[in-house]
Formats: sequence, C-alpha cells, structure tokens
Amino acid sequence: MGKPPKILIVDDNQDLLFTMETFLKRNGFDVLTADDGQKGLALIKESHPDLVLLDIMMETTFSGLDVCKAVRSDADLNDIPIIGISGIGDEMGIQIDKWGDDDYFSVDEFFEKPVDREKLLERIKVRLKKGVIKRGHPDL
Amino acid sequence: MDHLKKMDRSQKNAPVSTQISDTLLDIGYRGIIDLLPCYLSIQDRSMNILFANENFRKDFGEGVGMPCHRVYKGRDEICATCPVRESFKDKQIHLSEENVHLSDGELAQLIVYSVPVPDMLGNVQAVMEMSTNITRVKQLQKELTFLGQSIAVLSHDMKNMLEGVQGGSYVLEEGLKDGDIALATRGWDIVKRNIGEISNIAQDILYSCKKRDIERHEVPPGEIIRDAAALFREKAAAMGIALGCYSDPSLPSANLDPAGMRRVLSNLIWNALEACKQDKAKDTHNVMVRAVFHARACCAFEVEDDGIGMDEDQLDNIFEGFYSGKGSGGTGLGLFVADKIVREHSGKIEVLSAPGKGSTFRILLPMKQS
Repeated sequence: MGKPPKILIVDDNQDLLFTMETFLKRNGFDVLTADDGQKGLALIKESHPDLVLLDIMMETTFSGLDVCKAVRSDADLNDIPIIGISGIGDEMGIQIDKWGDDDYFSVDEFFEKPVDREKLLERIKVRLKKGVIKRGHPDL
Repeated sequence: MDHLKKMDRSQKNAPVSTQISDTLLDIGYRGIIDLLPCYLSIQDRSMNILFANENFRKDFGEGVGMPCHRVYKGRDEICATCPVRESFKDKQIHLSEENVHLSDGELAQLIVYSVPVPDMLGNVQAVMEMSTNITRVKQLQKELTFLGQSIAVLSHDMKNMLEGVQGGSYVLEEGLKDGDIALATRGWDIVKRNIGEISNIAQDILYSCKKRDIERHEVPPGEIIRDAAALFREKAAAMGIALGCYSDPSLPSANLDPAGMRRVLSNLIWNALEACKQDKAKDTHNVMVRAVFHARACCAFEVEDDGIGMDEDQLDNIFEGFYSGKGSGGTGLGLFVADKIVREHSGKIEVLSAPGKGSTFRILLPMKQS
C-alpha cells in the first residue's frame, strides 16, 4: 500500500483550517496546513502536495488569487490540482467556476462555503485520480 | 413671478397665445435664461466669462470677466478636460463631468454641455456652457454601489461563520463518536464562537435598521463595562491579549440604556481585539476598558488598544455604515451602530489613533440626561 495522498489546506481562518484538517485526516489523507498565502506557496514548493485546497479570498496580503497565479505560472507546479473555496461567489459577480478558461487564475474546481463535505470528498478523489494519470505519481 | 402677476393684471382679456408672447417679451430672454434651473454661461476664446445667468451667479459669485477655470476651480490653467475648448476647436457640442468649488467652498459635481455659438460667418466667437449640479445623484450612486458591495462582504462573512458552525459540529460529532472529549470540546468551542459572531452581526443589523426608543435606567457605569468585557474574556485569552477593566469608584450611576450601551462597548472591544490581532509588529497586546469622569459633567467610557492603529483616511470614514478597516473580516456596522446608539444618548464618540501605536475610543455621555 502506497503513502496516502498529500493535501495542503490554505485558509487564514483557524477554525476552518482545523475542521477541514480533521475531516481530511479522518478520510485517510496526509494533511498539511498553512494560514496565509505565502506560507501556502512555500509549502507547495517544498512538499509538492497532490492537491491544494485553497481559500480564495484570504485577508492576508498574499491571497488565494496570488497563490493560484504563482502556481499556474510555475512550470514545476502548474499540474498540481487546486480546489478553490470561498464565501464569495455570485453576489460579487465573480464566476469562479469559469476561471478554467483562464490559465493564469484557473482553479480546477470551486466550492462555495459552507462546503458540502461529502461532495468535496468525491471531487478530491476524482481530481487525485486525474492527477495520477496526468503525472504518473509513483506513490498513488 | 412679478412679471406673471403683471400679466394677470394688464392682459386679463387678451387671447392666451398673445398673452404668452407678450409675457415673454415682458420678461425678456435674459429673464428667461435667469430662470433656467441650471447654470448657463458664455465664454470667449480666452475662457473669460462674458455672461452668466442668475443661478450661476448665485452659486459661483459674479464671475463675469473672469476665466471660468478660476471661477470653478480657483486655478490659472485651463482644465485638462475643458469641453468649452473642445467646442472652440471642432465647433461641436461636448459633454463632460467636472468637480468644481461653489462660492461657499462646497464641492460640487457638474455635468457640463458646451455648445458653440457661431457668428454670421459661421466662426465660433463664443461657447455657451450649460451645466447641472449632479452632486446628490452621484452621492446616491456611490452609496448604492457601496451598499451592494457591502452586502456581498456581509454575505461572505456569514458564509464563513456558517462554515465554522458546520465544521465545528462535524468535529464535535467525531469527538463524541470516538469518545475523544478534547476533540469534542474543540469542536464545540468552534460552534460557540461562530454562533456568537453570527449573533453579533444579526444584532448590529437590527440596531442599524430599526428605529428604537432607548430604555434608560439608573445603572452604575462600572457594571456596564464589566458586563461587556466579560463577554470577551475568553476570546481575548485565546488571542493572547490582556483585557483589563477599570471603573472610577466615585462615578455615580448614570441614566443609560444598559443593553444599548453594552452593544456599543461590545463593538468597540471587538474592534480593539481585532486591531491587536492585525498588529504583527508586537508580541503582546493590551486592551483596557474604563469608566471615568470627563470634565466633571460627563461620564466617559474608554476602550484603548495598542494594536495596529489607523491613519487619517481611515479615521475619516470609520463611522460610515458598511465601512470596515478590517478588510473582509469586518461588516462595517460595528462603529456605525455604536455611533448611532451614543447619539441617541445625546453623547458623542471621540477617537485618538496613530498607525502602529493603537487607538482609543472615548464615549462621552452627559451625566444629567433627560
């Protein structure tokens, strides 16, 4: 049996970071956490996670948008699947699910808070499978 | 109106069309132009005002003989987007929006039309400028845009809190399932915290929307600050912030609405804790809440923090509804509501603040209140 897939959660809200970490750990994932965008990007570079769960609208100077931009413009990182999460969606006129058309800011999936955990789990598994095919991860 | 009265008296029996044309002659075109509910002026090539109607003269001063840029903006150079200059150039009508100063110093936004006035040979010797004051319209437009954005931010915050309640419940359940009391307790703390935050927002919304009569009672001010501070003991401790409380023992009871004043202090203490949280420059922070005398006639409540502080721009806006210095972390209702309640008590809020040093909010309430 290989190592469990590694998921990085980036969220500046400690409550949400802890609850999501608990949820993913209990579903068999190896979980890393970062409470701001800069720490998140450093962990992505250092640990090369199999998937990133990213809060888009963090109150930190380096937001989820910046993380996304940095990952997508880095040839070594841009195949890491990113699932974006935010409390802002339609009411700001932001149609984040359409960002897939734009390489610069693209997230692979988008979930609006409060997140449906079971659905999220399902989509994480789908994304991880796609990642295996795309990248041929030896441990998965 | 005198002209109209005059018409009634002298031409009572004349046909209506004759009456009207005679009235126009009587008033004269200049009189009609003066009556126009807009600013009308005529400028020459040097932008000197040759003629200005009454409305113009009323709001901008006499102005005739002076360059329009001097009258409108007090400057010596022609405005960069001057529509009058454009009309001189291409003999067309132009439109622009301009910010100008009225003669009383007030700023106004105008929508300006410039119309070339040709002579008999078709040369433009003058340009007529007609403008309307749209300051109020622009203000409303700004407020509506701001309101829309703020509701989106409010909705974002509520969703974060709902996520907290949902996530906390999940952690609580998992803890109970495994008999892991520490995990269950942590989940329950998250649920409580987020319910508290939702309740705060809901109360601020109610206070800001509802017209309410304050219910005054004789209360010791020290009791109010202790009650308000007690609500934040746990939060402050979790954030590593020292929350202190002091009440001058000689302060007599005051005639206040205790619930309203607790809300004011809660909002100020909440802001103080958040200001400390945002300040990464210091390792430890303090928030002090006081009830003291001020200039003998006033009871003062003070909330002092040594957090991030505010600059002048922020200070100018803090009491506006939906303005928040906390980015998406604030609803912008806390200080708006605090100010509203304090004004209902015939009091006022003073703020002292400096970036990097912290802020002190002082609520001054007259001791004798009806």
